[in-house]
Amino acid sequence: MSIKAGYFRRHLRVDLTEGRVERLALSDDFIEKYIGGRGFGAKLVWDNLRKHGFKRDPLGPDALLVVAPGPLTGVYLPSSGKNSFVAISPATGLYGDSSIGGRFGVALRQAGIDALSIIGRAPELSVLFVDNDNTEILPIPQLKGKSCLEAEGMIREKLGTHGIHVATIGVGGENMVKFACVNTDWGRNAGRTGIGAVMGSKNLKAIVVRGDKDIPVHDLRGLIAEAEKAFKYMRQHKYFKMWQQEGLMNVIAYANEKGILPAYNFKDGVFAKHNQINGATMVANYKIGDSACFCCPMCCGNICLVRDGRYAGTVVEGPEYESCAMLGSNLGIDNFAAVLSANRLCDELGIDTISTGSVVGAVIEGYEKGILSLADLDGREVTWGDEEAILEMIQKIAHRQGIGDILAEGARGITEKWPEMAKVVLHVKGLEQSAYDSRASLSMALAYATSDIGAHHTRAWTVAKEMEQGQDWSDDEKVDIVIYHQKVRPLFDMLGVCRLPWIELGLSERHYANFYGYVTGKEASLDELLQLSNDIYDLTRLINTRLGASRQDDNLPYKVWANPALTGPTAGKVIDHDDFNRILSLYYQKRGWDEDGVPAVDLAEKFND
Amino acid sequence: MSKRLAVIPEQCSGCGICELVCAIRHFGVNNPKKSAIRVMITYPHPVVRMPIVCSQCKLPACARVCPADALRLQNGVVQMVEENCVSCYKCVEACPFGAMYVHEDCGIPIKCDMCGGDPECVEKCPKGAIRLIPEAALGEFRRLNNVLSYAQMKEIEYYEKGEKKTIRYAEIGKEEL
Repeated sequence: MSIKAGYFRRHLRVDLTEGRVERLALSDDFIEKYIGGRGFGAKLVWDNLRKHGFKRDPLGPDALLVVAPGPLTGVYLPSSGKNSFVAISPATGLYGDSSIGGRFGVALRQAGIDALSIIGRAPELSVLFVDNDNTEILPIPQLKGKSCLEAEGMIREKLGTHGIHVATIGVGGENMVKFACVNTDWGRNAGRTGIGAVMGSKNLKAIVVRGDKDIPVHDLRGLIAEAEKAFKYMRQHKYFKMWQQEGLMNVIAYANEKGILPAYNFKDGVFAKHNQINGATMVANYKIGDSACFCCPMCCGNICLVRDGRYAGTVVEGPEYESCAMLGSNLGIDNFAAVLSANRLCDELGIDTISTGSVVGAVIEGYEKGILSLADLDGREVTWGDEEAILEMIQKIAHRQGIGDILAEGARGITEKWPEMAKVVLHVKGLEQSAYDSRASLSMALAYATSDIGAHHTRAWTVAKEMEQGQDWSDDEKVDIVIYHQKVRPLFDMLGVCRLPWIELGLSERHYANFYGYVTGKEASLDELLQLSNDIYDLTRLINTRLGASRQDDNLPYKVWANPALTGPTAGKVIDHDDFNRILSLYYQKRGWDEDGVPAVDLAEKFND
Repeated sequence: MSKRLAVIPEQCSGCGICELVCAIRHFGVNNPKKSAIRVMITYPHPVVRMPIVCSQCKLPACARVCPADALRLQNGVVQMVEENCVSCYKCVEACPFGAMYVHEDCGIPIKCDMCGGDPECVEKCPKGAIRLIPEAALGEFRRLNNVLSYAQMKEIEYYEKGEKKTIRYAEIGKEEL
């Protein structure tokens, strides 16, 4: 049975160098095989790499940026506001993607677009304006140097205050900071893998979308009945209200309790003053509103305001766990107002809070250990919890001033300049590690090492389960759960929906196979969808191996081997090389990749049509 | 007694479920741009998330400007008489709240009809930000908030079983006038 609805079958291809806009059709075969979101992105990036002989040039004009929602984006079902940005990452030089919630992807769908791909470089700083069936490239050089929020404000003034959705880069993106992000709807960021730098390299300040079309649904009644079951399940969950109140900030307390909270650049897994930066503190003193992605009852987003003190007047969409941990405990900051200020600064400059917290933490530790001199720091000392110096350093990164010019190159650039820094920079493949410690969890270490984008938990997040399970898991079980996560979590990114209702509230993933059936008219079992998701994992692996990655890149940060957390429940634990090599080989074997982690030669043909 | 829709913007998360369920109910399509309710968002100064929906005014500006007698107050609801409408959109411009909407696929303006007394947006809002309440109770939420902000709130700390706690109380009548 083929796909009857759910798509507009439209691929909008924009060449910024030539100022050309093409409206291409997507074939049945394409939408069935690649589903949407990250699936479309990976396939289009693969085709583009083949065309250019797998040249590794993520910031060159031939690099392709894909923006793609999924067939379920914007549809009446829980948390359907997701959208993927896909490109070769300037941070890793390998496959990269980052997904956002909010409403930007819904607008793209309503403009009748399933995939937007952008190539080339605009002669002047420009804005791409997709207004339903009309697409324009507008040179607006006045946006140069504007923060994400200022730029969004100026664009709204010019193109209409409401009914449009804006994805913009800040100074960080313009300066091609390797971890620059894309800011949408004022504060929702596609944070990871440096997508903002890719936009910057294309002289593209913003993508603006207005969409008014009906999103085609094959069986709306069936869909509503299924969605109501899911909404009802969520509303009745015992943690539902807690999610509305604290959102992801509730994880701070949990991570601290389990000893996996980054503190002082992962020197420790617990933070003495975690109470001052946790969800309860936020709700009591700072939170002024909820922020939900499209059609999401959980509204895990927070809006905070600092009411008094030196940061008074700071408003930020956030924080969430990662931002708060990486800019808070990871830098020794126990003042929640300062965390909010740093988060807001990152949003304005358009740089990723996770990577920013990671590189600043590494600098502080590097200086503490004598790897970096005061001269390296431009004569400005920076220590744990020194809010002022840290905020200054964040500014310098985005503006590429002094030491900021090196930090802006991310983990790879830093360790090239100062090889000794490899001992304190936590990254895999050049992507700085996100805010879950893996030293006490071999499955989480495997998840970071084998994630296609680098050390991020988006592909597999097994640390909680392993911590709860204790050390009784066999290698087989660990590998199986990592691979299962790497199938199911990216599937959400392909469908264009959020995974939180599943992972946090336990909403069965089977609902999503039903949603897919009702929306597209093509019945598919969960297993079939997971297989398609697994194919994309093979595809991103192929991209990476063709670009030169192999087993040695499925590595872990130095600290994970050598420096255990000092205190707390995970104290003393590190990952053993032999254990890791054994489990990595088993992982490759189960995936059908060779000992070097390279998928079989004939696999490529599957994606070459 | 007639009931009205009351919006509590402080509760709104901006998820847009109200828009989507409204469009599905009235047009049978998955399109939040075909709804009679919209969440307006301002950020960062001030931070407001607020659904805008028809207040069913007793002296409706929309009906007053309608040249075709297409808007009539019936049983507490300003009803659109579709066959009379000439699509001049004067009503859309006249509404002081901007609570009527236009979509190019729909010939006539989109206007809240209270779903015949059982509004879908009220039922589906996950935050309780849209409520259906008797007219006489309108304003009660804000009244209570206003009392709390008007009163001189004081905070005292005390210890209960060795644990530090705080209690708030209103010091009424002692403020300097």
